[in-house]
Amino acid sequence: MLQKYCFFKSTIGRKQLVALTGLILSLFVLTHMAGNLLILVSPQKYNEYAHSLVSNPFLELIEWVLLFALVSHFIIAMKLQINNFKAKPQAYARSGQGKKGTDPVSQTMAIQGLLILVFIVLHLITFKYGTSYEVNYGTGPMRDLHRLVVEVFHNPIYVGWYLVALVVLGLHLKHGVKSLFQTLGFNHPKYQCALQVFALLYAIVVSCGFIIQPIYVYFIFQN
Amino acid sequence: MKTINLKLKIWRQSGPEDKGHFMDFNATNISTDMSFLEMLDVVNSDLIKQNKEPIEFDHDCREGICGTCSLVINGSAHGPELGTTTCQLHMRKFNDNDTVYIEPFRAKAFPVIKDLVVDRSAFDRIIAAGGFISVNTGSAQDANAIPVAKEKADLSFAAATCIGCGACVASCKNASASLFVAAKMAHLNLLPQGQPEKENRALAMVAQMDQEGFGSCTNTGVCSAACPKEISLETIAQMNRTFLQASLGNRPPTKLSEGGF
Amino acid sequence: MVKLDSKVPSGNIQDKWERHKFEMKLVNPANKRKHTVLVVGTGLAGASAAASLAELGYKVKVFCIQDSPRRAHSIAAQGGINAAKNYPNDGDSVWRLFYDTVKGGDFRAREANVYRLAQVSVNIIDQCVAQGVPFAREYGGLLDNRSFGGAQVSRTFYARGQTGQQLLLGAYQALMRQVGKGAVQLFSRREMLDLVLVDGKARGITARNLVSGEIESYSGDAVLLATGGYGNVYYLSTNAKNSNVTASWRCHKKGALFGNPCFTQIHPTCIPRSGDYQSKLTLMSESLRNDGRVWVPKAKDDKRHPAEIPESERDFYLERIYPSFGNLVPRDVASRQAKFRVDEGRGVGHTAEAVYLDFGDAIKRLGQEAISEKYGNLFQMYEKITGENPYKQPMRIFPAVHYTMGGLWVDYNLMSSIPGLHVLGEANFSDHGANRLGASALMQGLADGYFIIPYTLGNYLSSNKFESLNETHPAFIESKKQVSQKLMQLLSVKGKRTSDEIHRQLGQLMWEYVGMSRTKQGLQKVAKDIAGLREEFWKNVCVPGDANFKNSSLEHACRLADFLELGELMARDGLEREESCGGHFREEFQTADNEALRNDEKFCHVSAWEYKGVENSPLWQMHQEPLIFENVKLSQRSYK
Repeated sequence: MLQKYCFFKSTIGRKQLVALTGLILSLFVLTHMAGNLLILVSPQKYNEYAHSLVSNPFLELIEWVLLFALVSHFIIAMKLQINNFKAKPQAYARSGQGKKGTDPVSQTMAIQGLLILVFIVLHLITFKYGTSYEVNYGTGPMRDLHRLVVEVFHNPIYVGWYLVALVVLGLHLKHGVKSLFQTLGFNHPKYQCALQVFALLYAIVVSCGFIIQPIYVYFIFQN
Repeated sequence: MKTINLKLKIWRQSGPEDKGHFMDFNATNISTDMSFLEMLDVVNSDLIKQNKEPIEFDHDCREGICGTCSLVINGSAHGPELGTTTCQLHMRKFNDNDTVYIEPFRAKAFPVIKDLVVDRSAFDRIIAAGGFISVNTGSAQDANAIPVAKEKADLSFAAATCIGCGACVASCKNASASLFVAAKMAHLNLLPQGQPEKENRALAMVAQMDQEGFGSCTNTGVCSAACPKEISLETIAQMNRTFLQASLGNRPPTKLSEGGF
Repeated sequence: MVKLDSKVPSGNIQDKWERHKFEMKLVNPANKRKHTVLVVGTGLAGASAAASLAELGYKVKVFCIQDSPRRAHSIAAQGGINAAKNYPNDGDSVWRLFYDTVKGGDFRAREANVYRLAQVSVNIIDQCVAQGVPFAREYGGLLDNRSFGGAQVSRTFYARGQTGQQLLLGAYQALMRQVGKGAVQLFSRREMLDLVLVDGKARGITARNLVSGEIESYSGDAVLLATGGYGNVYYLSTNAKNSNVTASWRCHKKGALFGNPCFTQIHPTCIPRSGDYQSKLTLMSESLRNDGRVWVPKAKDDKRHPAEIPESERDFYLERIYPSFGNLVPRDVASRQAKFRVDEGRGVGHTAEAVYLDFGDAIKRLGQEAISEKYGNLFQMYEKITGENPYKQPMRIFPAVHYTMGGLWVDYNLMSSIPGLHVLGEANFSDHGANRLGASALMQGLADGYFIIPYTLGNYLSSNKFESLNETHPAFIESKKQVSQKLMQLLSVKGKRTSDEIHRQLGQLMWEYVGMSRTKQGLQKVAKDIAGLREEFWKNVCVPGDANFKNSSLEHACRLADFLELGELMARDGLEREESCGGHFREEFQTADNEALRNDEKFCHVSAWEYKGVENSPLWQMHQEPLIFENVKLSQRSYK
């Protein structure tokens, strides 16, 4: 009976898959954020970096991996969430206080996840599949992504929506990064404090790093 | 002697099929030296004298060790105090004219039997699945034959202090039994005697836990805060690690292993 | 007079058990699965017996009143478990443990049983460690021992202050392993309400399902009773609220003799009651007396705060009366002296029913940190319950009923006077005589369950023929009928008093007259009073609800009905035993300096009471099992 009990069906196995895919996605957002910061250097550097990415033959493979990670992260987490709703059919009339009380960030991971998913879809439509301007810096034509970014982020509604989504992403990362160590089996009193700080810093760096772009474009960068 | 008056909102449910509702009671002239359960005794005694059915609640040792008492008091399992069971909670922690909500432990895996009494036999079945060391009576070697590092023995003890009350499940938004299961695994897996069955134990206990309908762990840590024995979240990480190892490493059944475990 | 056969094997005491094990008949492995054994109670004795018997191949059905076997009250034992391992190399041996236990019991236990207990004590520790019981260890990784009351060697194994919990979890896990394998069927939330006899043998039980209310029958070839002690007859005790005598009592009424019912142990260091609503008492480990000094004010009715009472106006009475043992006198002596002080009107606290246990000197001498390291968890528990800080002001303590040495009479094979009914652990009249030493209860429960009953039960099963029968046998039907009738009778009284009130009243009577110190007049009076209270109970108790679903007031009333009978028997037993020994102190029989005075000429025996039925007066007849001491010399205990 035990051998038949599949890792992928167990709640812990599923949690660990969420953690692993989460790990991939968190590393991705860090590199994505770092690339975005090139906007501070110059439009040319920004476009050239984007161009080097799309002309890399491995990009497609990486995109598939990311898509797979994202979809499985989402589906498995949602399955767990549905199971969790079933496991706790009725809430209490009052919520606990102090340490026995609830931490709104860790309690709302599913909602954050949903919001982030919507954000990702809209984000891909806006940029990856958005208007493709062209520019030539003498090395041949390439996509002028910078122009699109500047256009989009001069719209205050876009900027506001991005700010909200990126703060939520930060919260999601704060709990997620800390949590993935725990789920994959790492918790040691000697390092636990450092780990919490690391998770917090990671979330702040990624979230703020991303926020810099719309803020910079909206307030500082003028054509 | 100081006394207080309380407004109680207590969950009444006549049976597992009943929907249940809150009922209001007034507890008057409650000495602050009373325990929470003694306060309920007073309420019940009044009910009995009116030939009304008293509020059913589970309790036994009333000194914080048997794990029988339950109750969610104002949203917190075992009440507001840390490291305390309901039976050890005293009325001096409440103020005059407080409103107190008293509810049963809520989880699909802990169905309500009556009023505040729930069925926690799922925990027994998890232990029966693998929460033991297989040693028949009489087959043990001398107790000092295997030294156990004091640090490990102490950690094992800390996990073994779990009283199986179910506050971890009750306080978890997902009704996850992770802390209970992890504490038992930590207790046994940290000892040399527990090594031979370590991986099978992890697989078997987790399988049973899932089958009972508990939710999954989302690492919120409320379980450990609600735990009257303050069992650490570290045990859950250990369980996750052992489970991962066991899942990756377990062999498909062979002729030799059939009928085993 | 019936001659009770203790079935103690002849020969040298060291060899009795070994030879008996060889002489007993065995059950063929293939035949074991044909026998069903019913085990009632899942504490140390019940869980260990059920697991061990299932491992051997018997079909086992196990019953407990709690929602899980793990909640049995063995879980609350704090101090430790004795074993003659002699790991510390301090001169311990099986013989010394045997001697200490017989002497500690004030020479009222059966020698051969106690010797066997000491012999198997070493196996218990091995077994528990193998199961994963996390006993305290030293830095080298080996097991640690500590000393405990009544012994001059360190032979107590412990797991911080939770030894009972850890041992019970070991036995519970062994039991659940067998449940998982299908060898044991577990029936939780079941209360045994009758023993079913067929052809004079115990062949089954009638139990109430505490959830559905249904009355159920279970048949088997033997019944093992491991249902604990009856301390709750005093209402306030350190027992769990649901601990009761009902299963034992119903067996007693079916013919099992009750041994030494008046032997109760009163523990000196408990947190005193704070008011009339008090529902139970909490024990504070005896170890506190190592550093605390016990005192009361010299003046009567001194209401001053303890800090305002100068040293010269304090009476450190234990140090005064027992200069050589001081605060470390045995439990019964310390308890009695505290009661004397309170009776003199020198009790402290708002109820004036307490004495001080003062750590002021120890804190001055060793520093608060050292004290906190040693007793921190106990101090914390005290503060949680009383709201007072014991570092700042002395603890208030008072004795409380803790353990009952009496119980159903059993022979050397742990079988009661009813063939097939075996009694284990605190439920039997046991190996502790008139007083139990600290850390011996856990030892006895596990010895009975792991290492004695698996042998002796086999002998019983293979020496008797068992007709096959099932729950449709007329004896089961009749038993069910009687049990239901009794429940209906309780529900139909519809009186004015709650069973809790009546129980409190019974408890007060018991505490006053069958407590720490007893007199002939008092015992005579209380026997009558209890009979009267019993009558009132059946006329005026109020039990709401019905018997068809969970009904805790019905459960309680049902248990109280039996306590109301037991209380009277305890008084009669105390009256009959005209001597003082261990926990039984008759004021008429004391030495010039108020110590217990035994009468070995007339009372060196077990009093085993037979229930004669309501149509007879008195309700009970006493039988005697003489106690013969061949290996230990009878002597007077002294602690001056």
